[in-house]
Amino acid sequence: MALKTNGAGESHRMRAPSYAISAIVGAGVLSLYLTTLAPTTAMWDASEYITAAFTLGIPHPPGNPLFVLLGRVASLFPVGSVAVRVNALAAICSAISASIWFLVAERVLIAWSPLRWTRIAAAVTAAVLGATTFTVWNQSVVNEKVYTVSLAFFAVVSWLTVLWCDDPDGRYADKLLVLIAYLIGLGYSNHPAGFLVAPAVAVAVIARRPRTLLRGRLLLAGLLALVFGLTPFAVEPIRAAWHPALNEGEPTGCTEHIGFSCTFSQTTRTRLMANINRDQYGKPDLMLRQAPIGAQFGMWWLYFKWQWLRDGHRSQSGLQLVLALVFFGLGIIGGATHWRYERASFWFFGPLVVTVTIALVYYMNFKYGASQDPGLGGVAREVRDRDYFYLWSYSTWSVWAALGLAALWRVLAKGAAEGEPRRWLTSSPILLLGLVPLAGNWRDASRANETATREWAHDLLNSVEPYAVLITLGDNDTFPLWYAQEVEGVRRDVTVAVTSLLNTDWYPRGLKRRSIAAYDAVHGPAVYRGYAASAPTTPVFAIDDAQLDAIPEYVEVRTPQIFQQGTLRAVVNPQLLEYGVPTRGDLMVLQLLKDNLGRRPVYIARTSGQYVQALGLEPYSLVQGLASEVMPTVVASSADTILVEGIGHLDLPRTRALWDAYGAPAAIIRRGDWVDRPSVGIPTLYAATALLLGEVLANRGEVSEADRIRRKALDIAEASRTTDLFVRR
Amino acid sequence: MRLPEFAPNRRAHVVRATAGIVLLLGYGDLLRGGTTVAPVLLAIGYMILLPAAILAWH
Repeated sequence: MALKTNGAGESHRMRAPSYAISAIVGAGVLSLYLTTLAPTTAMWDASEYITAAFTLGIPHPPGNPLFVLLGRVASLFPVGSVAVRVNALAAICSAISASIWFLVAERVLIAWSPLRWTRIAAAVTAAVLGATTFTVWNQSVVNEKVYTVSLAFFAVVSWLTVLWCDDPDGRYADKLLVLIAYLIGLGYSNHPAGFLVAPAVAVAVIARRPRTLLRGRLLLAGLLALVFGLTPFAVEPIRAAWHPALNEGEPTGCTEHIGFSCTFSQTTRTRLMANINRDQYGKPDLMLRQAPIGAQFGMWWLYFKWQWLRDGHRSQSGLQLVLALVFFGLGIIGGATHWRYERASFWFFGPLVVTVTIALVYYMNFKYGASQDPGLGGVAREVRDRDYFYLWSYSTWSVWAALGLAALWRVLAKGAAEGEPRRWLTSSPILLLGLVPLAGNWRDASRANETATREWAHDLLNSVEPYAVLITLGDNDTFPLWYAQEVEGVRRDVTVAVTSLLNTDWYPRGLKRRSIAAYDAVHGPAVYRGYAASAPTTPVFAIDDAQLDAIPEYVEVRTPQIFQQGTLRAVVNPQLLEYGVPTRGDLMVLQLLKDNLGRRPVYIARTSGQYVQALGLEPYSLVQGLASEVMPTVVASSADTILVEGIGHLDLPRTRALWDAYGAPAAIIRRGDWVDRPSVGIPTLYAATALLLGEVLANRGEVSEADRIRRKALDIAEASRTTDLFVRR
Repeated sequence: MRLPEFAPNRRAHVVRATAGIVLLLGYGDLLRGGTTVAPVLLAIGYMILLPAAILAWH
């Protein structure tokens, strides 16, 4: 097949890739990421993954064994905190991706860009553009997900496939294909998204050398390599049998110690496959759309607009739209130019973009996005924004957008040829468009000063008395606590029980098995100094595993029911529960109350909304800082125990002492913004607590103290842009 | 001279054997509860040695 040549008569085979420059580009991007790196954990899954890496544990299905291995290795480097080390892994992976996008872009440009420096300039633009789109940048400065590792696999496989497309009959061609197959399998053991690159590889092979499909031995070698790439999944049952602190899905049949028979048992196989296949989430059939397909593409477009100018508070919507249209158009031009001039690599890259954009939107089948069409009421929404699922889409689109810029540059420098670099030079400022996301996203993508999540975890844990059971309801009041306990060793005496996971079979077993660390009074909050409490000697559940397993998924009861334990008599109102009936998780909470009330303190996090009311526990609950303690008897009002309408009783001295020790308020105010709106309930809870305290103190005549605390509440509200929630209308 | 023909094969064998041994040692340590050496060996085996073994295949 004849090779196309550029204006200078070069073919891509004549030019060695600029590996040294790509390394410099990668180093530059890494510097950017390290400058804006999160100094600790963050909301959502960051804490879970950092904890999984540090403990060599198993995060939520599919368990991501390759990430856990890499994260554990990263956590061993003796530089910075554990969180910084694992966050840096994300940064390194994305920097590798950027350097490879440079190579891919440079390679494509050889076909139609005559001067080497112009190719390098445009390829650098591709790398910078891809690295600074909002989601890529934001996900690269904290290890919130495993997707940056996936992105690195995407990029490596892309480069290898481009090399194969260049010379499908060459000496290394077969090795490259086998290596690509291995990396696709290995990428899957990081995350199933690793397979997303496979259709594009298949199209490239069919387009470039269809007879490859008839080469049985090569196909067999590729299949074996792919299967071998999946073998890190063997790490899951081995580690699960050691029952690490994080053991989601518990993919083992071993109840006490690792052993041959329990590891190679049907139970292990069933649980491991359930983990790998993510059975826990029960995704609906693709034919049953969770939102109209137009809305699902609308979600992709919403997040696409974020990439070039995040505009977290919708203050520059017009400019954001214009930029999105510009970069969308540039991507189209880049893709068309790619198709026109460099068909060989297009056969891979084009299908890749289609797969991670159109096919992925269809496959993910999301509900409405958390921030999508806020005026649209009554529709089912994702609990958070899912822009990270399209990280690969926006990253690859950036390469095409940079190619589009290069194409426009070429038009502007029309007529230029080698030896006439001046016209290229004078028209080169058009490449500055590639710096728009760098400037537009810096404020919102950077996590350089984000410490609020770590402080929040400390504050919530310290809100409960030694050896307490703390019931939480979601990711953001649970994962940071796991991080604080397992990575930083904070308040390991507390048993955190999250209702969503209490619905599973494995989580209650793990809670029952969990050993309780001795309370560390020296490092604990001052309010518990001299607090007499001994470590519980019994598990948090008093019933055995068989009885735990026998608790049903839900009970078809929709009318109020009495729950009685000792002197506590609560009226459970199923209509106020999330699903309208008591689920297994709710029944587990009642079981926890039954087994622990009067033996150890039981708390419900105040992030739980109406959960206290739904369980009929309001007469028994006593607000202490960020959590409510469930008392065995009805709480009586006193000088220090004040009844607040709509809240219940407030333990004033305890809450006041805790408030003064909380670290998150200062962190929230220092950061000065809260970009992720779905988690804004956390700063809101602080502000609400401060306002509550202020009101109670004012009623007691402590006006100056009340004003001080109220001022802090307003500062938090202003920093998190939630003032409108508290202003009386 | 036969060495140039022999050398790549030998190199491939050495890389393959090293990859296999490192992975076996990694899984061995993991089975006995290791959380430091095991992930290092497995990461090196999967990320470096196995790709090298594939590329060294003669």
